[in-house]
Amino acid sequence: MSITKSLSGSGDNRKQPNTGRRSFIWKAGAAMSAVVASAATGFSKTGVDRADALKDANAVRTLHRTYESRLNKGMYEEVVGMFANNAEVVFNGGLFKGEKSIRRLYCEFFQAGQTGKKIEPAPGFEPDPEQPQDIVDVAADRKTATGQFPYSMQVGTPMTEDTSLVKMARLQGEGIVKWWEGGTHEVTCVKVGESWKIRRLEYRLVSKADYRPGRTHARAIDIPAFSKVYPADPAGPDKLV
Amino acid sequence: MYQPMNIPMHRFKYTKLTKEQIGQELAATAAGPKCVSGLSDALAGKSLKIVTKDGPVLNYSFKDKNNLTLSENGGAAIEAGYGALTLKQMVFFSHMIPGTQKGYNVFVDLDTDLVTVFEVWFSSGKQEGGGGFLGGEPYTLDDREVQRQIYYGYVEVPGKEAPEQLHHATNRIEGKGMYWKQDTGIETLEYYASVISSNWVELTRQNDDLAFCSPSDYVLVNDNMFIYDRTECEFAGIFTLFVADLFTETQVGVRLGFNHLDELEYYMFRGEGKVVGQLAYLEPFDDHGITPMGAQSKTPNAIPEKGQRTAYRPVRSFRHLTDEEVHQAAIKTTNAFGGRGDASPMDMSMSMAGNNMPFTDMLVGREFTVRYDNGGPVWQYKFMDKFMLKYKEEKETEWREATYRAYEGDEKLVWFAHILLDSKPRASVAIAVDLLNGLTTCIYSHMGTPYYGNETTYRALFGVAEGEGFAAPRYMRHEFTDELVGHAFSWSYSDSMTSMHLYSSPHSMSWTIFTGNQTMGMQWGSPCLYVKLRDGVYIFCQNEEACNGAEMIELINTKISHDCGFSYSGGAGGVNLGLVGAIGRHIGSFDVKEYFGPRVAGKGA
Repeated sequence: MSITKSLSGSGDNRKQPNTGRRSFIWKAGAAMSAVVASAATGFSKTGVDRADALKDANAVRTLHRTYESRLNKGMYEEVVGMFANNAEVVFNGGLFKGEKSIRRLYCEFFQAGQTGKKIEPAPGFEPDPEQPQDIVDVAADRKTATGQFPYSMQVGTPMTEDTSLVKMARLQGEGIVKWWEGGTHEVTCVKVGESWKIRRLEYRLVSKADYRPGRTHARAIDIPAFSKVYPADPAGPDKLV
Repeated sequence: MYQPMNIPMHRFKYTKLTKEQIGQELAATAAGPKCVSGLSDALAGKSLKIVTKDGPVLNYSFKDKNNLTLSENGGAAIEAGYGALTLKQMVFFSHMIPGTQKGYNVFVDLDTDLVTVFEVWFSSGKQEGGGGFLGGEPYTLDDREVQRQIYYGYVEVPGKEAPEQLHHATNRIEGKGMYWKQDTGIETLEYYASVISSNWVELTRQNDDLAFCSPSDYVLVNDNMFIYDRTECEFAGIFTLFVADLFTETQVGVRLGFNHLDELEYYMFRGEGKVVGQLAYLEPFDDHGITPMGAQSKTPNAIPEKGQRTAYRPVRSFRHLTDEEVHQAAIKTTNAFGGRGDASPMDMSMSMAGNNMPFTDMLVGREFTVRYDNGGPVWQYKFMDKFMLKYKEEKETEWREATYRAYEGDEKLVWFAHILLDSKPRASVAIAVDLLNGLTTCIYSHMGTPYYGNETTYRALFGVAEGEGFAAPRYMRHEFTDELVGHAFSWSYSDSMTSMHLYSSPHSMSWTIFTGNQTMGMQWGSPCLYVKLRDGVYIFCQNEEACNGAEMIELINTKISHDCGFSYSGGAGGVNLGLVGAIGRHIGSFDVKEYFGPRVAGKGA
């Protein structure tokens, strides 16, 4: 378990995900190495009480686990409730700001594609086992914290074809094209009362692959980022980033 | 007993019976169901307290073999007529509750004291659709459609603990096919090729050998006995329920609902049958289907409403267009093979042609004439390049230029299609030409049926090709065939889209949608035709009649388990001749050909 300073502005490639095979290992590994290198200076500079900081860091980890667990179960409305007022989410080249927009992201976009289910990394895209699982940095005033957490999830989009096959698949809760996506959650949290809320969450993508659980192979795929903002795209972001 | 239907169910206009009309007719059920074979007195003089999980507690006292009293959840006793039948250790009884539109059908296993209860009711007033998983515009279910809710439970025995294991849903019947003949003389072929649906052919009630699909449930009693139901949703709404023993291939059951003549049917039956085959089911080996495939709720994560089932109701959201409306749309847009040639990999992975066979250039530079029998069309062709051809009718002087796509469906067997330019109604042809013998079959398709404009009509034309290199026979032709009947193939059009085709009768087929773990789920069916081109090579053509009106025109090559072909459809957005192709897996077959063919109406097989 490590409590460290977060990386600020790390990753020159944040807007240009490398979709090549094994890129997940290389890039995530490099980022995490940088974080670990800075960890040792964290406490001495801030003077944060170690026990309190650990408690807050654990609370942030729990918050993130809860976020992933709710996404995994498709509890999208409950996910929306985990964000602070005026929070931001960056996903797939789009910025969603404020509760209304965040609800649009999760309760429309994510829900329609059953996005967020935790799945194992695609074959050939596994993260470096040597890298830290997560990194949390609690601010000196213990009112904010930042974190980095690797993620590996299913992403989907409803099939748009109007065939009977697609309509029937929809009726049994499917009719969705699914793929795998892995990367890092860059999270900024804020303490609201005694509990933590998410103030900013960025999906920092590393790789996407045409993988679904059960397959023995995967290849990198290129999924277009958001190209329109809301309302031109009814489930789109407020801003392209 | 029956006046057989000569209008297929999917074309029949069933009366929208009102709640009041249904109530009046149901008064007759107060006396209980009849049975040609006679009812059982197995329960006479007995009392049962049935406790169900998440359902009612039912206290029954059986006065004799026709009368019972029931207390639901400790309420006042209700008197009702009932009927009972036994099958081995199973006692099945059925009754309605007088003055209401609901009743119970109860299966009691005397060996285990386990019970499965089917509560049934009419006039649900239930709204479906309205967005979410349940589809577009809201609609209200027909009052005549029998609703059902299944409860699993047990007979409470003083001093005996409640059993931990109850009857449950199963996938072990999935893929099985059975022929049944009831004591009423009614014969059916039933294909249980899904865990939530079934496909059946009425051999007595219908004059056509057409298969239809309906929502169904499957409950496992033990290794050799199961309970099955089907509700003919979007047709008569009638309900059939039975328990079957696979060792003896016998059944006892009940039929409840209103038939196509709006007559109330409420009778119990015995039947004898035969297992006609078994398809493979493809879910993981450690998945026994014990947890039923959940029906969708209106909103995610909500508990489905009582009686909710997964039913395909395509007509509810279909906008019918006139012939002229479709033709005006076709004038604006008639698309052939557009949008897929340069599609992105993700588009292809979602499409109906992601696994298609390659196009062939084997026709480039060739010229020939196809001449179809009995005064059929005669077209002359010149193939300019891989995607463009010129054609004209024999009597015409001007050539027309059209885009086409061609496959080599088997060795030197070419299969190509194009739009018939400026045709009204808009038409297309898909033509197989056997370059080794000069035989040709054309699937001639055009927009519009006697029912509505945005549904296609198709027919097969048989003939010969003439030209350099051809020496076609004078009498021999490609022919309609039943060689595929009873067989099932999964067809993977792309990595995201697979369905199973069951060639259910000589004139119909069904398609089944797989779930995420490859359990077979929703089904629907349509009429179709089959033509034999060569051994193992066929044309299969179906139109999703009274559904979305779209046509699939495929060459199936069973030697390579692949198909390739075309789709043809039209609507407000214009007319489209598209591409379809899939990798197949042979899932199995049913030995059913003996049941089909011309026969005396209403006499069964």
